Amino acid sequence: MTTKSPRTPRSVTSTSRRGALKTLAGGVAGAATLPMWARYAQAQSSEPIKIGFQVHRTGIGAAYGRWYDRTTQAAVKLINEGGGINGRPVEIVAEDDGTDPKRGAEVVEKFATQHNCDIGFGTLFSHVVIGSAPRAGELKLPYFVVSEGTHVSSGMLNRYTMQPGITDVRSQVISMAPFITENLGKKVTMIFPDYGFGYDHRDNLAPAIEAQGGEVVAKIAIPPSETSFTRYFPKIPRETEVVYHVMVGPGVLTFVKELGEFFGGQGPELFGFIDSLEAVAIDSPGLEFLEGSHFWEGMCRHSQPDESEHEAFYREAVGVDSRGASVSDPTDVSTYGHMFGCWETLHVVKAGMEAAGYRGPQDRAALIEAVEAMTDMPLSQAHPQGAKRFNGKTHQVFGHQYISKVEGGMLKKVHTTSIEDTLYPDEVDYTTQSF
Amino acid sequence: MNQRLILAMILGLLPGMLWAHASEQGFVLLLPTDVYIGAGVASVALTVVLLAVLPAWVAARLFAPLAVVAVRGLPLRHATSLMATLFLAFLVWRGVSGSNDPSVNPLPLFVWTVFWIGLVSLQGVLGNHWRWTNPWTGLVALLGWVTGSRAPIRYPRVLGHAPGVVIFLCFAGFLLADPAPADPDRLALAVGGYWYLTLMGVTLFGPRWMLRAEALTILMRAYGRMGLLGRARGRLAVGLWGWQVLARPRPGFGLAVFILLMLGSGSFDGLNETFWWFGFLGINPLEFPGRSVVITQNLLGLIVANAALITAFAACLWLGERIAGTRRPLGEVFCLYAPTILPIALGYHVAHYLTSFMVDGQYVIKFLTDPMGQGADLLNLGTFYVTTGFFNTPGTVKVIFLTQAGAVVVGHVIAILLAHALAVRGHGNNWRAVLGQAPLALFMIAYTFFGLWLLASPRGV
Repeated sequence: MTTKSPRTPRSVTSTSRRGALKTLAGGVAGAATLPMWARYAQAQSSEPIKIGFQVHRTGIGAAYGRWYDRTTQAAVKLINEGGGINGRPVEIVAEDDGTDPKRGAEVVEKFATQHNCDIGFGTLFSHVVIGSAPRAGELKLPYFVVSEGTHVSSGMLNRYTMQPGITDVRSQVISMAPFITENLGKKVTMIFPDYGFGYDHRDNLAPAIEAQGGEVVAKIAIPPSETSFTRYFPKIPRETEVVYHVMVGPGVLTFVKELGEFFGGQGPELFGFIDSLEAVAIDSPGLEFLEGSHFWEGMCRHSQPDESEHEAFYREAVGVDSRGASVSDPTDVSTYGHMFGCWETLHVVKAGMEAAGYRGPQDRAALIEAVEAMTDMPLSQAHPQGAKRFNGKTHQVFGHQYISKVEGGMLKKVHTTSIEDTLYPDEVDYTTQSF
Repeated sequence: MNQRLILAMILGLLPGMLWAHASEQGFVLLLPTDVYIGAGVASVALTVVLLAVLPAWVAARLFAPLAVVAVRGLPLRHATSLMATLFLAFLVWRGVSGSNDPSVNPLPLFVWTVFWIGLVSLQGVLGNHWRWTNPWTGLVALLGWVTGSRAPIRYPRVLGHAPGVVIFLCFAGFLLADPAPADPDRLALAVGGYWYLTLMGVTLFGPRWMLRAEALTILMRAYGRMGLLGRARGRLAVGLWGWQVLARPRPGFGLAVFILLMLGSGSFDGLNETFWWFGFLGINPLEFPGRSVVITQNLLGLIVANAALITAFAACLWLGERIAGTRRPLGEVFCLYAPTILPIALGYHVAHYLTSFMVDGQYVIKFLTDPMGQGADLLNLGTFYVTTGFFNTPGTVKVIFLTQAGAVVVGHVIAILLAHALAVRGHGNNWRAVLGQAPLALFMIAYTFFGLWLLASPRGV
């Protein structure tokens, strides 16, 4: 026992410099062979950044949820390979919200209180965002949604809720108007499902078309439970030059087929939103009538000749081929027009946390402020969909929108809007709200 | 390649298994489903007509076991049961400690996909494996052997299958109405709690608890009667689905009710996803607000659907007895004919869950290759992406739909054959059997239409 204490300092002093270097080198080499998680364990403050991922695993959002998950996993892998956030690994804590607003709020609460997540992230369906965001605000949990809904910029949510990775429906719709009136026609008939989603299009498109000197000559609302549409088509006025359609749900393929049969290729121009056919191959039998029609795309599903190196990198990381389908199954078409939002949002979170010097939940307000301070986001690996401009007051990002034409079973990009085309006046200044 | 191979293996090995995703429904709506439904209903109706004109012995002969092999009872059932118990304990532990994502955590994957879809279907299609896979019997035997004590309380005979009926309705309520039946924490509590309560039941009341009150065992033993494989005179025998129903005594009233609840609950599980149901509730199916707002509606629907089925079934039997002039007591014929409902319930179970199984089965494979979520690849799959591409092409959707429809139609044809064989046995005369069976046959033809309509209907979830 007594000999131990004098021996300790001797053993320290006897460690030669060469030995120390050897140990260090061995450690580095050893670390390089360790899995990623173990490597972080060597670093100081190796606690992972926990991101609560509110995923639609079940319920009506499940098809989107699977691709949101796949994109999220790919983005997190990339971020971790690049050293994580502030040198800390990112850990995804996924919870299924059942595409159910009430459960959404419960999931947000679990993130904050049970899993000690740093932020909540990833919600798509608008009603779930609207149901969950108040709870995130109460719990002071930064809540990064990827929903397209205009509810963020409309001011109905709170300072903790942000949408920095995907543009909103209002900006998408209004930016279509100049292209439609200049290239397709000035007399527009709208066909939309008779509920909130359809109303967003109805209420935003008509003024934008009128501002371009055009006119919405008819607004045909279709009951959501309808599965046969032929009887609505005679309501399309003869003078119509463009049919603007945004049908969704299981009946959408029937809608397209019946619309095509009704006009027999002789009718007005067709303009739609890819939401209708997200995850459906555009060259599917029965969709031949879409040839020559135009679609809004959030991101071009089919590789374009001018595709950026960043988008090519993104496709490979997510495991999606040049037609937007899974590399392991060409019939498994992704939700390509939306899922980039997860990738970009996570990169915004990383940039925000690094700018804020984020250490833990005590820095949540600093994170919000850091994101609010963001403005231009250039086209890059972090933003493969294109350059963006964030509005810190409305917590909403704005970006380029794409219009593609169906040609020979391909979605060929024919127009890219400017960011300015997508802007509209601020309706809220969240920065004036206290934390 | 590996993914494809494994998927092909699943589809090849388990030709009948199947859950519902919304995306394929768009292509289903493009199929000539009215033609398919007509053909399916016609096949079942034709079976009725054929049985009327063919000799009386035909149906009974069809159900004669085809091969009889002398096999001694496998003695390992307690050992395999103990292994099932250990695996269940692992699953519950992972349910509490593992990922909260129901597609990653093995508890919901094994409870809902492997057990509820896979093992239940296998029990009905092949035969009784529950004897070896039941997670209680081995432990009960072991405890009995170690302690040497017997159950202290006698199971009250008067209860019959009533506890099993109540527990089955609770199970169906959890499956259909709980907002998050796949949430790992919640499911761990439900599964662990139920396992423990059942163990207590068997400890207190003896094995009779397992046979009368444990709903899953009652369900499995009922479906076991449907399997191709069974035992006849101490030997292993193979026969057409349902042969064991004819080879065994008729069930008691409680079990007969239980069998009808199996079909009623299964059918409501399909009905509550249709646009028709959402319309009835006044909910926009494209903006379904989630399960948490329809808890009461689903529970009431479950009760009403089951009550309606039991009433309709009993009314058909009552009418049949009047027409044939045999006038046996309603309770007696109810028990006699209830097992003929089993193939319908099984066919619908297989059809309804096929699509879910095709998707969630892939998540099971993901789990198997990396059981502890540490990046392992035990099955050497490489990068494994779950796919739902087969819901996105007309050709595969057609194959899937026809497989589902086939399961429903085959189930009804078997049911008609069984009912006819039982009727011939009871009436002794083909013509009277046909007359007496007519209302039930009409009911089964109508139910074929209903089952196929459920598969073809637009769904909101």
